[in-house]
Amino acid sequence: MAAPGQVRRKHVTNKEKICNPEGGCTCAGQAPGAAAAENISSRRNFLKSTSMLSLNSLLGTAALMTMSDDAQANTAWAEWFQGNYRLMSDEEKARARARLERRYTREYGKAVTVDGTPPQEGVLMGYALNIKKCIGCRRCAKACVEENNTSRGKDQEIEWIRVLKMEKGEFSQEKMNQGYPEGLGIQVGGNAYSPAGVVMEGEHYYQPKAVPEKDSVYMPIACMQCEKPPCVKVCPVRTTYREADGPVVIDYNWCIGCRMCMSACPYWARRFNWSDPNLPKEAMNPVTHYLGNRPRMKGVVEKCTFCIQRTRKGRYPACVEACPVGARKFGNLLDPNSEVSRIIARKHVFRLKVEQNTFPKFFYFMD
Amino acid sequence: MKTTAFLLLCCVSASSVWAEPSKCFESRKGASEVKQRMIGENLPNVKCSPKTGAVLWWGDPFDGTVPMGDMPIADADYNRGKAVVKPRSDKVGLLPLCGETCHTGVLPSGFPVNKNPRQLALMHEAIALDATKLPHGRGAIWCLDCHHPKERNKLIDHRDNPVSFDQPQIMCGKCHGEVYRDWRDGIHGKRIGEWASTGTKRWFVCTECHNPHNVQHGERNRGIADHQPEPAPALPKGIKTADHERRQHGAGRH
Repeated sequence: MAAPGQVRRKHVTNKEKICNPEGGCTCAGQAPGAAAAENISSRRNFLKSTSMLSLNSLLGTAALMTMSDDAQANTAWAEWFQGNYRLMSDEEKARARARLERRYTREYGKAVTVDGTPPQEGVLMGYALNIKKCIGCRRCAKACVEENNTSRGKDQEIEWIRVLKMEKGEFSQEKMNQGYPEGLGIQVGGNAYSPAGVVMEGEHYYQPKAVPEKDSVYMPIACMQCEKPPCVKVCPVRTTYREADGPVVIDYNWCIGCRMCMSACPYWARRFNWSDPNLPKEAMNPVTHYLGNRPRMKGVVEKCTFCIQRTRKGRYPACVEACPVGARKFGNLLDPNSEVSRIIARKHVFRLKVEQNTFPKFFYFMD
Repeated sequence: MKTTAFLLLCCVSASSVWAEPSKCFESRKGASEVKQRMIGENLPNVKCSPKTGAVLWWGDPFDGTVPMGDMPIADADYNRGKAVVKPRSDKVGLLPLCGETCHTGVLPSGFPVNKNPRQLALMHEAIALDATKLPHGRGAIWCLDCHHPKERNKLIDHRDNPVSFDQPQIMCGKCHGEVYRDWRDGIHGKRIGEWASTGTKRWFVCTECHNPHNVQHGERNRGIADHQPEPAPALPKGIKTADHERRQHGAGRH
C-alpha cells in the first residue's frame, strides 16, 4: 500500500480484471450464431454473460474511478520521478512533502504531517549512554518502534536498537593471568568459569523474568551517527547523507535497495524492508519527518535518525524518554552546558570501534 | 509437575500479554502509576507496553507537572523556570493519613522521638517488616533521619527543615551529594521534554525510580529494582531457537 510501485502493480491487476469480461463478451457473441436450436440456452448464456459483463464493468468502472483518479495517478507518477531530496529546491521539497501528506492521510485514515524542518545553526546532535546503568529492559527498542513507524508483527519485525547482554568482566589483578576461555582463541584472563575482561559476544534474545540479571552487562547499540559514515561513502546513488546538525539520514524515495550501506556499517545499524512494512493504522505515528519516521516502502533501507522529527522540534528522542534508569542522554555537542557535553567533560567515555575511523557521535560512559 | 507449572506460567504470561493495561507505570511499578487517556485527537497522554505496562511514549511530557522548587544549593545551574516535576504526594498511599490520624505532632504515648531503631506499629509492614534492620543504609540510618519527627507528611533536610514529598531530592542529596550533583547537571537520572540546555524539561525525582526504603533490592545491586523486560526481538527467518548465540563458556553458566 505504501510503495508507489505497488500502486502501479495494483493498477495492472485491475486492468486484467477488466480484460476478462471483454473476453467473455466475445465468446458470448459467437454463441447465438453457432447453434440456433439451442436458442433458450444460448439466450440464457447471453443473459448470463451480459449480466456478468455489466457487473464486471461496474466493478471495473469503480476500480478505474478510484485507481486512475487524476490526483492519485499524478502522485504516483511524481513520486517515481522526483529527484534526490538533497538536490531539490525548497519548492520541490515542499511539493514532495505535501504529496506524501495527502497519500499517508488517505492510507492511514488520520491527519498525517510530513515535516521538513532543516538543521538548526550551531547544533551538533550527540548521544551518551551510561553502560553501567543500563538494565537491558528493551524499553528503548520498543519506544523506538512506537515512534518511528517501523514494521512490526511476525512476518517482518524491524527494531533499530539492539540490546546485547554480555557477561560481566572482571579485571582483578589475581585473575588476569589465570587461563583461557574454552572455544575462543583469545586470552581474556581469568579462567573458563570466571573470566576476566569482557569477550565481545552478546545475546540478543535473552528473556529472563526480570532484569538486570546477575553478572550481566547490557549494551544497547543503534546507529552511531558517524561523522565519517562508511554507509554514506558506499551509497551508489547518494541517497544517504549526513545532515548539517549531525544525523545521517536516508531519502527513502531515492533509495534503490542495493544494501551496500548495510554491509559497510560496522555497527549493524541499518535495516532493510524485505517486504511491505506491516504498520497498523491505529498504531501509526502521524507526526513524521521526510527524512525520519514517515512510513517506508518495500525495498528500502532504514535506520535510527536520532528521532529527527522530534529533535528538530526540540524534543528528546523517544528512546531517551523511555529509558527507566536514565541511562540515555541526548544533547548539543557544541553547547558546553548540554548534558552530553558535561558527560564528555566529566565521565569516562568510550566510543564503539573507533579504530574504524568512523568518528561516532554516540558515546558510552561510566560513572 | 514441572509441565503443569510450565503450562500455568504460559497461561499467566499469555493473559498478561493480551490484557491491555488500563493503568501504566512511568518508571517504577507501584510508585509511578499513570492512567491512559486522550489529550487530543489521536493523541494519547502515554503509550504503554502491552506486555509490561511500562510507559514507552509520552504524548505530552509536561502533562500534570508543576514547576520544581529551588535547589538547596544557590549556584545550581539549572534553569529554574523551566524545570518541572510531577507531584509525588498522590502516589504515596498513606500520605493523606500521615499527620492526620497518628502523627499529629502530639505524639502518641509510648513512641519517643529519637533515632534509635525500634519496631514500628501496624500500617508500616508494607514498607519494612523489620524496622530494626532497614535495608537502606544497612542499619546506619533509621526512619527519622529522613522523615520529619513531628510532621509525618513531610520529609526532613539536613537542617531539620521540613521537605515536601514532591521534592525528595533536597533530602536525598544531603547524603548522596555526588549523585545529587550529577542529577542536577543532567548526568544522573531521567528527564523528558526538550533537549536544549535552556529547554523545558520534566525531571524525574529520586523516588520515582528508586524505592527509598529498599534501594538495593534486586539481583544486580545498582539501586534499581528488577524490571520485567520487554519481549525479545523476532528471530531471523528460518531460525527456531536462540541457541546459536548461547555461550559455550564463561560466566553465564553459574
